[in-house]
Amino acid sequence: MNGLWENVAKLLELCSAKVAGIFAGNAGLFSYLEMTAGLFTFLVRGIFPLLTAAVLFLCISSLLQNRKEDKIWGYLLAKDGSRIPLKHWENSLGRSKMSDIVIAFAFVSRSHAVLTFRNGVWHITDVGSKGGVEVNGAKVEKSDLVNYGDTISFAGLEMVLAPAEEAGPGRKETAPVSPSPLDKQNKSGLAFTLILLFQILGAVQICISLGEGLVPAVPVTFLIFILSECLFYITVCWWGRGSFDLELLLFFLCGLGLFNIASANPDFLYKQLVAIYLGIVAYTVIGAVIKDPERARKLKYALVATAVVLLALNLTIGETYFGAKRWVDLGFTTFQPSEFVKIAFVMAGTATLDRLLTTRNMTAFIIFAGVCIGALVLMRDFGTVVVFFGAFIVIAFMRSGDLRTIAFISSGAAIGALAVISFIPYIASRFAVWGKVWEYADTAGYQQTRTMIAAASGGLMGVGTGNGFLANVAAAETDLAFGMLCEEWGLLVALMIALVFVFFAIYAVFLAKGCRSSLYAIAACGAASMLLLQAALNILGPMDILPLTGITLPFVSRGGSSMVATWGLLALLKSAGNRFNAGGAGDMT
Amino acid sequence: MNLVSKRAAVLLFFSLLLLIGLSIFSIRYFHKASTWIQHPANKHLFENGKLLSQGAIYDRRGNILVQINDGSINFNEDKTVRTALMHVTGDLGNNVETGALVAFRDKLSGWNIVNGLYSLDKRTISGKEISLTLDAGLCALAYNKLGNRQGAVGVYNYKTGEILCLASSPSFDPLNPPDVKGNPGKYEGVYINRFLSSAYTPGSVFKLVTAAAAIDNIDDNENKTYLCEGNLQIGKDAVTCMSSHGEVTLEQALANSCNCAFARIAIELGKGKLQEYANRAGFNSSLAIDGIKTAVGKVDLAEAKEIDLAWAGIGQYTNTANPLNFMAFMGAIAHNGMRVAPQIIQGGEELLFINTPKKERILSPQTAERLKQMMRNNTLSVYGEGNFKGLELCAKSGTAQVGGEKKPHAWFAGFLDREDFPLAFVVVVENSGSGVKFAAPIAASVLQQAINY
Ligand SMILES: [Zn+2]
Repeated sequence: MNGLWENVAKLLELCSAKVAGIFAGNAGLFSYLEMTAGLFTFLVRGIFPLLTAAVLFLCISSLLQNRKEDKIWGYLLAKDGSRIPLKHWENSLGRSKMSDIVIAFAFVSRSHAVLTFRNGVWHITDVGSKGGVEVNGAKVEKSDLVNYGDTISFAGLEMVLAPAEEAGPGRKETAPVSPSPLDKQNKSGLAFTLILLFQILGAVQICISLGEGLVPAVPVTFLIFILSECLFYITVCWWGRGSFDLELLLFFLCGLGLFNIASANPDFLYKQLVAIYLGIVAYTVIGAVIKDPERARKLKYALVATAVVLLALNLTIGETYFGAKRWVDLGFTTFQPSEFVKIAFVMAGTATLDRLLTTRNMTAFIIFAGVCIGALVLMRDFGTVVVFFGAFIVIAFMRSGDLRTIAFISSGAAIGALAVISFIPYIASRFAVWGKVWEYADTAGYQQTRTMIAAASGGLMGVGTGNGFLANVAAAETDLAFGMLCEEWGLLVALMIALVFVFFAIYAVFLAKGCRSSLYAIAACGAASMLLLQAALNILGPMDILPLTGITLPFVSRGGSSMVATWGLLALLKSAGNRFNAGGAGDMT
Repeated sequence: MNLVSKRAAVLLFFSLLLLIGLSIFSIRYFHKASTWIQHPANKHLFENGKLLSQGAIYDRRGNILVQINDGSINFNEDKTVRTALMHVTGDLGNNVETGALVAFRDKLSGWNIVNGLYSLDKRTISGKEISLTLDAGLCALAYNKLGNRQGAVGVYNYKTGEILCLASSPSFDPLNPPDVKGNPGKYEGVYINRFLSSAYTPGSVFKLVTAAAAIDNIDDNENKTYLCEGNLQIGKDAVTCMSSHGEVTLEQALANSCNCAFARIAIELGKGKLQEYANRAGFNSSLAIDGIKTAVGKVDLAEAKEIDLAWAGIGQYTNTANPLNFMAFMGAIAHNGMRVAPQIIQGGEELLFINTPKKERILSPQTAERLKQMMRNNTLSVYGEGNFKGLELCAKSGTAQVGGEKKPHAWFAGFLDREDFPLAFVVVVENSGSGVKFAAPIAASVLQQAINY
């Protein structure tokens, strides 16, 4: 507070001095401009944390309110006249309390069958029950079609499948308190306006800060970016479908990334802009393809095959930088195959509930995970190894629920990690300085100490975008992106950005509850865990809380492959929230 | 679906890890950011290893104590002032941990947690100008009065908390640092600010703590008398006085500094009460002076036997006192039992303009008033009003036995009962002798100068 007040006092002093100078006729236009610029920075740096808080609050609260009403897709009529609603596209039946439909009879298996709704048609799958499943008296071998009016027998217990209601499937059973669409629209509109305000003020600020070092790419990039956002906003409003708060959050993060690049390395601005557009394309395409679980399943195999090829390619013709073999040079551009493999990895882990309960083994996924992680170790991309392994744990647990196996795999991994740490010098040296970077401030602890010095120099409100010195450290806008945010935008903004990644994880768990298919739930959680871990390594590594790994901060760091891949991962998160217009006969709003 | 969505909670565990990491980072940031910025690699502060900041430290009259200009450090022009205030400013080798050059380094750089190193006027990375509450002239006088004896002097305003005078001897001229290692005797503990960072055996000044406990806890203590026969036998050991004081009241016992009476009082009070009043008086805790922590004076009676308790009641046993902390206790007696936290930076760290000193009630107003009267009586009946003309002095002397062949530490502590000069003080002269003889004259001259400015 004291500092704030002092600045106000200084400001007044400076202003009066300058005004006096103008009247005395000895102040040129230049110093007048300089004073205005100084004033601008002084005023906006207090506004940025407020704008950030407001944008995040509006988007996040709107996303969490977004729980659509529970829809009923059909009923099972029991002999005693009771009506059991089918609330998901995939409903497990069995004696286990964890089943969606609990049938508490001893002759019913714990996990007996799965009733699946796909493309307007219901299927029943026997998931290895003892008593078996029959449809209209005919035994179901594996999976069979069920029509409305058909009698399904679960080890003798008979139930009749009935349509949701005369009005058709998708009737609302309850009408919980949900904000009116208009209210939501206003909220998103406000969030969008605030984001624009943030970016416009930020763009002016960075032009001022760069001063003589300003290149045309900076204003041009921000102009194009802001116009694109407007175009997007107009399009979705005109389309009038669904919420777009998640996309707004991503635009906000991408914008901050552009500021970092403008400050550190403006030559890369256009490239990053293109990467953002490619990311949006990937996001849209993946979102459209996986709307239908069947198509998603096919996409999965295609992705896995591509991933294996990409990894092989990377290992054979990859370029080596800084001891890590992560890049493939295509002549006109380089890219990082491991980034795209992320999407394949998460998709490979997904499964629809009927398959999940029928096969019950993850051998294929474990093999694929082993291949990916092994390849990454060979590429010496150990940060990404941690990210993949974390996602593996999340997916494997969601699929099996088996803590023992996971503990077993984890301890195996820990031994592997220990071996890697002790035998690979490049990693060993990073571990050696971990926790004592100040003793190696100019050698192995260089990046960490510079990041902490810069972050501390920013205080709560930052020195203003473009005014930082961390930008001069090599690769700051990729590996030290969080440190740059701390220095130039202040600790408050930086911490709020970190919390966005925590929010993605919470949001994935939140969405998983209402998912139509387990495929989307697993995909969303897998994707969110990758983003979360990547953010954690980027944020905590340079601050010496974790060992430094040199990994990107999703959406913020410079990097084309990473940008496209993270948008792709977000498509998986988004798809878990789609409940109405997803595929077949269910598609009614 | 239920099954899979419940298992999704595993992801929350991962989020928790990131949240814990962020918390650790934030905590470290709030504790260490002021240190991190001082690294020479900080381009906001340094250019080619040269400090860019323009900070300066002044005394309360605007005299420059130390100034950072174009990367070099300049001290006051006067050698005596430089030497007397060496512990306040710190030396060029940054050996004095409580010195401003070290303790206020972040403030001097213009850094604060809200704004970081942002400054409005980019061209002069504005270091901060810090005004101290000290009066350089008074400090120099106190230092000179200590002469070549080791010890500490402190004077502060017990209503506002401002420290006016601070001296610690031995010291040296920071512009001409001596060979400290070559002269271990002369420069013993020279880098320590004795006023802030030392703890001495208090001796008789501690009787004020025992007296405070007696006033509150002994029935009819105004009239009750204690017999002094010059010697009080407790078990095999004995507490003695210089001569037999006869039947004395509490007031007389304090004025004559009667060991036998106070030994009896301490035993009558018991361990618990004496410990409680010692803690209230500021023993066993540290004060923070604008972020600088004082050394802790200790009174620990947990293992004390009866004879130990008797010794503790007269400020011996294992008792130690930090001069600044004890001075703040004097201030509390003067200020109706309310202790105002001492501060050394003008305006302090308070919000905006409003400078509200931190206050803490440690004695009841009645107890404080009674102690004040007794301390005034000390001056009138023992120390001699003539030696302290016009000061309205309330005080207590102490001659603390330190064992072995060494001479005792001389203490003199108290305050002025004056509305216009609400000053409390402490003087300690190490290994010199009687408090009245060696410490009181220093207090007299420093205080006379303080009110005659
Ligand atoms: Zn006596």
